[in-house]
Amino acid sequence: MTASEGLALLLLLAGSGFYFAGTVGLLRFPDAFCRLHALTKADNLGLCLICAGLAVLSADWRIASVLFLIWLLGLLAATVSAHLIARQARQAGADNIDPPEAS
Amino acid sequence: MLGIVLDLVIIASLIALAIQVVSGASLFRGIIHFIVMGLTLALAWARLGAPDLAMAEAAIGAGVTGALMMVAYRRLVEITPDHNPSRTGSRSRLALPIAVGAGGLVGLLGLGATLSDPEPGLAGLAVLEALQDEALGNPITGVLLLYRGLDTLLEIAVLLTAFLAAVAVTRREDLDYSITTRDPHTPLVGALLAIIVPLTVLVSVHLLKAGSHDPGGAFQAGAVLAACGVLLVLTSRVSASSQSRPLIGLGIVAGLISFSLIGLAAMLRGEPPMALPGMWAVYFIETAMMLSIALTLVLLFAGTESLRRNQHG
Repeated sequence: MTASEGLALLLLLAGSGFYFAGTVGLLRFPDAFCRLHALTKADNLGLCLICAGLAVLSADWRIASVLFLIWLLGLLAATVSAHLIARQARQAGADNIDPPEAS
Repeated sequence: MLGIVLDLVIIASLIALAIQVVSGASLFRGIIHFIVMGLTLALAWARLGAPDLAMAEAAIGAGVTGALMMVAYRRLVEITPDHNPSRTGSRSRLALPIAVGAGGLVGLLGLGATLSDPEPGLAGLAVLEALQDEALGNPITGVLLLYRGLDTLLEIAVLLTAFLAAVAVTRREDLDYSITTRDPHTPLVGALLAIIVPLTVLVSVHLLKAGSHDPGGAFQAGAVLAACGVLLVLTSRVSASSQSRPLIGLGIVAGLISFSLIGLAAMLRGEPPMALPGMWAVYFIETAMMLSIALTLVLLFAGTESLRRNQHG
């Protein structure tokens, strides 16, 4: 394993760890705001680390810049959707954000 | 070794997700599991080396169909608020035999495919050889348009039929604007649209153009464009309208009409039907199909036969 492969593996593992933490938070945290908090922060960093790992692995500036763009788009979508969900939750009262049968 | 483990994980999760989709405790969970299954299926196609199918599955199977199911669920909850959408009915007695039969059939086919001689399909080789002479570098697009033209045409016709059926059964009074976000004019939404809308148009045109030599094509491009339309409906930039517009009607049938006319025109020249006269026809048909697919999917999502633009301050 070369040094760059080792670095990529490290980044990918760290990214998966953040995704895992974010998902656990999404499933375990009590209300909508805490869940959004866990999801947006951890997953954005996870995506960043995974994109960085793949960019290192590809060793190609073109692919790396596309991956960077993907990360930016992910950030944008996650930010706005989390913002809208949080607004909705605040207006509705945080308890009503869940569909009624999801426990 | 690692590849086989990955494949087995994908297969196992596909089966588990499929069971969850049909036997989930509630409709909502079934929909979520269906979307996740679509994404996993896209992974499976990618592992099989079929990026065209992976993209189509992720964009149409998981993305647009997921959005359609979510909006249908939302309407179901709005129209019948006291109806509990969770499934309480007991399972049919036929469920188990059908499941076992279907599983056995798939297993038998798979076993037959792996046990038979791995002789390369002669038709496939002949097609690939013939496609070398064409200007189409992507064999998928080549087969879809040059050899399976009728199939592709019928797929467009099926989409049109689904749209007509949906329009026919939709009650006008059920079409409120409840599917939009509650306050669609927060600054962040405008900023998102200002970036995403031009970008999706760019990506779909790129997918369409790339479809002639790389993974891509009318269906994938249409799905991306439809996602943009769904976003515009959700943020109430455009909304359902009952006033019919000739331009929208033309857009819906553009793919079917241009494909059939160009295909039938071949007969006038004495060629077999659906023979395309050249690369310009391929691009023309693909563009028309992309517009039709995108427009039909957005209209299915909005639940109407027409759309209108909303003025907002």
